[in-house]
Amino acid sequence: MKAFLLIIPLCLLMACSKKEDLGNVEDIPGLGGDTWAASPLDKWLHDTLTVPFNIAVKYKWDQFEFELNKTLVPPKEEKIIPVMSAIRQVWMDTYIAEAGALFFKKYCPKYFILSGSASWNENGTITLGTAEGGRKVVLYLVNDFLTKSMEGYKPSDSANVKQMFHVIEHEFGHILHQTVMYPVEFKRICAGFYTGNWNNISDMAARRDGFVTPYAMSAFDEDFVEMVSTMLVEGKQGFDAIVNSIPEGTSINGVTKAEAQSRLRQKEAMVVSYFLTVWHINFYSLQTRTRKEINQLLY
Amino acid sequence: MRNNLICLFFIITGMFACKKETDPLFDKSPDERINDTLARYQQVLTTAPYGWKAFVYPAGVPGSVFGFYFSFSDANRVQMFSDFDAASTGTMRESSWRLKALQQPCLLFDTYSYLHVLSDPDAGQNGGQYGQGLGSDFEFAINGAAGDTVWLTGRFHGSKAILVKATPQDKDNYFQHRINRSVDSISAILTYFHKFTTAGNRYDIRINPYLHQVNFTWISNGKVKQASTGYVYTATGISLMPAFTDSTITINSFDQVKWENGAITFTVNGKPAAIAETVTPLAIDAAAPKRWYQYALQNESYWATYYGFHVNGKDDACGITGLPAYAFLTYYPQIDGPGTSLDLLGFVVKQETGGNVISYGPGYDAPTFTSDGRIIFNDNGLYGNLPADRTAINKTRSLMADPMGFYLVQTSSLTYDMVSARDGKSWINWQGF
Repeated sequence: MKAFLLIIPLCLLMACSKKEDLGNVEDIPGLGGDTWAASPLDKWLHDTLTVPFNIAVKYKWDQFEFELNKTLVPPKEEKIIPVMSAIRQVWMDTYIAEAGALFFKKYCPKYFILSGSASWNENGTITLGTAEGGRKVVLYLVNDFLTKSMEGYKPSDSANVKQMFHVIEHEFGHILHQTVMYPVEFKRICAGFYTGNWNNISDMAARRDGFVTPYAMSAFDEDFVEMVSTMLVEGKQGFDAIVNSIPEGTSINGVTKAEAQSRLRQKEAMVVSYFLTVWHINFYSLQTRTRKEINQLLY
Repeated sequence: MRNNLICLFFIITGMFACKKETDPLFDKSPDERINDTLARYQQVLTTAPYGWKAFVYPAGVPGSVFGFYFSFSDANRVQMFSDFDAASTGTMRESSWRLKALQQPCLLFDTYSYLHVLSDPDAGQNGGQYGQGLGSDFEFAINGAAGDTVWLTGRFHGSKAILVKATPQDKDNYFQHRINRSVDSISAILTYFHKFTTAGNRYDIRINPYLHQVNFTWISNGKVKQASTGYVYTATGISLMPAFTDSTITINSFDQVKWENGAITFTVNGKPAAIAETVTPLAIDAAAPKRWYQYALQNESYWATYYGFHVNGKDDACGITGLPAYAFLTYYPQIDGPGTSLDLLGFVVKQETGGNVISYGPGYDAPTFTSDGRIIFNDNGLYGNLPADRTAINKTRSLMADPMGFYLVQTSSLTYDMVSARDGKSWINWQGF
């Protein structure tokens, strides 16, 4: 019987004595199509964004970067340099000027995906930007990107462009607070008013409850980054105008004008002190720079 | 003895468990073979000396077909023309392409080009549906290549496309701007109905230059027949795909197309042909006016239009969209409820409090239906709180009161076009609910 017990491991050993030739692992052919002849555009993106900041920009079509059931189209090649230059001017250069290149390189999202069209939703609305995990930012409607220096620019085109900056500032705000959390008091300012129904709420109704945008009502974190992005993109003046636009009377939820305005001001103060204490960034100075760049592009 | 046998069994099992050679069915690995296939397609596409003609059939618009010219380079660049509109026919546009194995060998057009215009979810680019466009594709699985042809199927919507090796002539037609778009002048023929005559045959013809579709109506043995086909633009005119055929004639193409003297003239199978204006259609849907009227009546509802009358090629010819707080225009039979006598061409006005209200408009007694399929509206005065400037209302009212009346053409289950029987040059597109 003991012999048996010996034989079985012996068999197993023999069974396993295979020498597998893995072939040349240095050169796996893959499925092809992942490389292409570099164009001047590829070179520009590489030199301007990849080398200094380790940021990749994917403009060639890959449906798997998007929702798989959405009809979308790739961007026009001639739009990519204007879009990325504007982003560099408004978002990158301003943060670098205030917080330094090291800060920016450490925390910036590293992967930009571009879509030529907007993403149309079932309810008739369109999505202009999304982001995932502090790494990937998806920008839509690149094909309609127009600034005042480009032919055919109308003042109404500014909404698209501002929305694009809003998305980026929003996502970068997420990265910052996910790295170091904002003070917990922020969550108490509008406690009880957060709702999953934000998409049915108008801008003005949200403001009357003390939120800067309807989307800010969806969660604490969104509230915080919507504050950051709206304040940066609209500038000090624009934000003051939003606060002052709240009419007399009480909102549906019973918030008075004074309460709503004070909530927005409290949030503003908290954002400013968060940027100063955590990141040593003078928020108002960053705001001035950002808005100045936007003004130069659009007005 | 038994133990020895068992021992032997184990030893043999152990030895054979190690048999390592597998006989591959193919001489190369799947990766290598897919790369070989891609390389072969790459070679096929880039070595066509005069580029490729392409025909794309968007899955979202059955029957439509669009013509393209592609010239692929080895540096992942493609030069392109498309017969989608005049600009894309006249201006070459360069974008990028590549081959990739996405379960199948695929041909990808990976930056925006004329091909993507058909897929753009912004319907403003192509006249399709918002969020869908024309349901076309820009990533294609390669079904196969043989001789001069490559067959493709779209990966997203399943559109079909065919590439055919271009001749020097095909290439020149695009690069030298010889594509003939005279058929587009059909929009300058101001009547609603268009008459197409050739070799003793007469048809009513509708051409949709946006969707590249032609619709024929004719009478055969006393019966009304209809057929639709797609078309692409060529150097001589248009090529019907597939060809149109009835019992007497097969039409592959309209050649030597010209716009002259208010008509489109051309040749069909070498014989002269023309598309010209006509007031009366070949086939009148005599029951349509009653059907149109009864539908609204039975549903206690109305027919609506935004622009009102289109006259002599001009939308909103009466200027009604400029009326104060204008929302839309309705025709409301028996507006005071079933069995009452007043029909109203009701102008709907936006309210400050939100919502819309029918505020004013000309009223009518019950309409007259003629046996030859016309509806005549019997004006009996203006009703409601009229705005100060009544020009647009009066213009609309006088057009409606035409004693010749109107034909009705049902264009879908809930849309009708109401066409003037006097000159065929004014009409309203009605939308039901």
